[in-house]
Amino acid sequence: MTAAVPSAPAPAPSGSRRRRRRSGFATALPFLAPALLAYAVFVVAPMFESVRLSFFEWTGFVGAPQEFVGLKNYIKIFTQDAVFWTALRNTVIWVVLSLIIPLTISLALAVALNRPLFGRNVFRSMFYIPGVLASIAVANMWRWIYNPNYGVGESLGTAFGLPWLSDIQWLGDQKIALYSVFAAFVWQSVGTNMVLFLAGLQAVQSEHIEAARIDGANAWQVFRNVTLPALRPTMVIVTVLTFIGSIKVFDLIVGMTGGGPAQQTQVLALWSYQQSLGNHQYGMGNAIATVLLLITLLIVVPYLAWTARQEER
Amino acid sequence: MRTKRAVAAIVAAGMLAAGLAACSAGDDAGSGATTITYWKLTDADDASKKAWSEILNGFEDSHPDIKVKVEERSTDGHKEALRTALGTSGAPDVYWSWAGPGIGGEFVKAGGSLDLKKYYDKYDWTSRFGDSTLSTVKQYGQWDGVPSGQSGAGVYYNKELFEKAGITSTPTTYEELVEDADKLVAAGITPIEFGGTVNWHLMRLLDNILMAQCGSDTFQALVTTKADWSKEKCVTAAFEEFHTWTQKYLTKGWASLSDSEANALFFKGDAAMVIEGSWFDNVLRANDVDTSKIGVFLFPTGTGQLYGDVSSNYITPTSKHPDEAAEFLDYLTSEKAQKISLDLVGARPVNTAVQVDPTKEDSLDKQWDPIFADAKGLYEFNDQALSLAQTTEYWRIQNLVATDELDPADAGAEFQKFIDQQ
Repeated sequence: MTAAVPSAPAPAPSGSRRRRRRSGFATALPFLAPALLAYAVFVVAPMFESVRLSFFEWTGFVGAPQEFVGLKNYIKIFTQDAVFWTALRNTVIWVVLSLIIPLTISLALAVALNRPLFGRNVFRSMFYIPGVLASIAVANMWRWIYNPNYGVGESLGTAFGLPWLSDIQWLGDQKIALYSVFAAFVWQSVGTNMVLFLAGLQAVQSEHIEAARIDGANAWQVFRNVTLPALRPTMVIVTVLTFIGSIKVFDLIVGMTGGGPAQQTQVLALWSYQQSLGNHQYGMGNAIATVLLLITLLIVVPYLAWTARQEER
Repeated sequence: MRTKRAVAAIVAAGMLAAGLAACSAGDDAGSGATTITYWKLTDADDASKKAWSEILNGFEDSHPDIKVKVEERSTDGHKEALRTALGTSGAPDVYWSWAGPGIGGEFVKAGGSLDLKKYYDKYDWTSRFGDSTLSTVKQYGQWDGVPSGQSGAGVYYNKELFEKAGITSTPTTYEELVEDADKLVAAGITPIEFGGTVNWHLMRLLDNILMAQCGSDTFQALVTTKADWSKEKCVTAAFEEFHTWTQKYLTKGWASLSDSEANALFFKGDAAMVIEGSWFDNVLRANDVDTSKIGVFLFPTGTGQLYGDVSSNYITPTSKHPDEAAEFLDYLTSEKAQKISLDLVGARPVNTAVQVDPTKEDSLDKQWDPIFADAKGLYEFNDQALSLAQTTEYWRIQNLVATDELDPADAGAEFQKFIDQQ
């Protein structure tokens, strides 16, 4: 007969450990303080200022009065601003497409260029180069490509006797203009994500892949069950960066369409900017910026928390 | 060793501080001259660049105690830079701007203009300018800016393409203009070009059609929002006509083109007409267009009014050198400077003492003389007549109609809805 021995409760943190933790924080504080201060001044304070301004009417000129209007700016953007909903819809489309198309292409390129191919470093560089170009230069280049009078579509259409190709208004037709700009974004962004994925692929143990193959796994099964799980930390980073980068898309749109035609390629970040600096309605502009901030936080924070929990498991 | 390092650091910091102090004092400390900053549009052609260089050198030579630091920008870049900088320490001492309510008026309303009454008295500027230009100075209640120029905008046309289409004379009524556009289409010629990426280019067509359909009084009542855009029948008629132009007569791919890309079609003879300002004479010459083959006529609105704008140079209230800035503006509008602009660029002088000499004008410039002389008043570009937010909405509706996404019959009501919500 054996007596049941109750399991001992987990020991409470001892006083000395708590003291050590506190003293660790106190030791770290002087080192963290400068960065914390800079973060507070240059990131947090402007963010709060932006939110504050969203409750005011202000032209943006120094010295011009700021009149408190409560939720009026929010009511206006949600109920009266015809462009806001177009901008929100376009932003959502842009984010969803960004999380699917460039990411998939980047991952495919990374996997392909992780193999021992002849000239793979040259290919890696070639695919990465668009990522280092200034967005406005990319915009100019693609505007030229899409030019209805001497662009690539026009030239190919004329050369191959395809008038329908020559007639496509890549940036002028509001049904396709957003997707035409998005094509430029894909061209520009796949290289950067490819490099991140390549870095992640270096962490995949070759022994694991070898073992899976010995067990009879085919290429897809190896990728699905070995490579992809090992890439999870990289995937989280790339997904978050892509999400944040795409939700605040601005420069390519400005450079290629300016939000036109008829505001049909408008996005939230650009509309916020144009309301503030173009129309001198800083309250409306900051209300849109606040909505953008909330959407970002509502998606990014839970996603990061969820991935952190997944990793702890 | 530590002491040496400390001394070196102190000396270096001292030198840096001295350097920064010298910088903050600007050229004032270095040469004894006061430096004023001037923001203007970029000169697009060699003649304008040469004229500006001569005027600037003339001013600095005659005022060795004042230096002018000039910053030039594109049309939209200039507007945005001013909107961002006015009222801050980064604002220039003097800036050029369109004088109408939608742009210059917004700057004035935002406190971006120093009241120049004392300088008007000091330099007797009131006797220098005509009544029409002076009225723009006082339109916002104080003495804002000094007139810089007046531009008219008309329909530039390619004489050879008109001839090829069998058009023997320029249209005198709106209906004749439409008939001519039909003749051009029948001859396989694109009647008119505009670039859609800058909304203000195509806006010129809508503005003029609106004037043609509504007449002067209603047009003015509409742009000052005293008339209801949803109730005036001429507004619907104007949007319907505008829609027809965009579907039948406008160059292919206009929505993807900038103004300069679209104008290149006119230079090459690929489009027969465009609505441009009198500054376009120089742009044509700069692009090696034979101006003897180009003509210009006033858009036949039936009102006899000239479409165009007045521009001014403003001194900012934040300027630390308003006296020097006023001296600069006095020189810019002097007979000497205005004559340089007239001789080299063909710019219409705002100084009434300087008269246009027809013997020095080329055939294109000459066509503007009777247009300016016979004009029965001025109606401004609508992006200068409407407020900023209204302009943005006006452009949106204009483009929706032009791209067939909004029924022209609903356009007036759509715009009025926006005005009512403001």
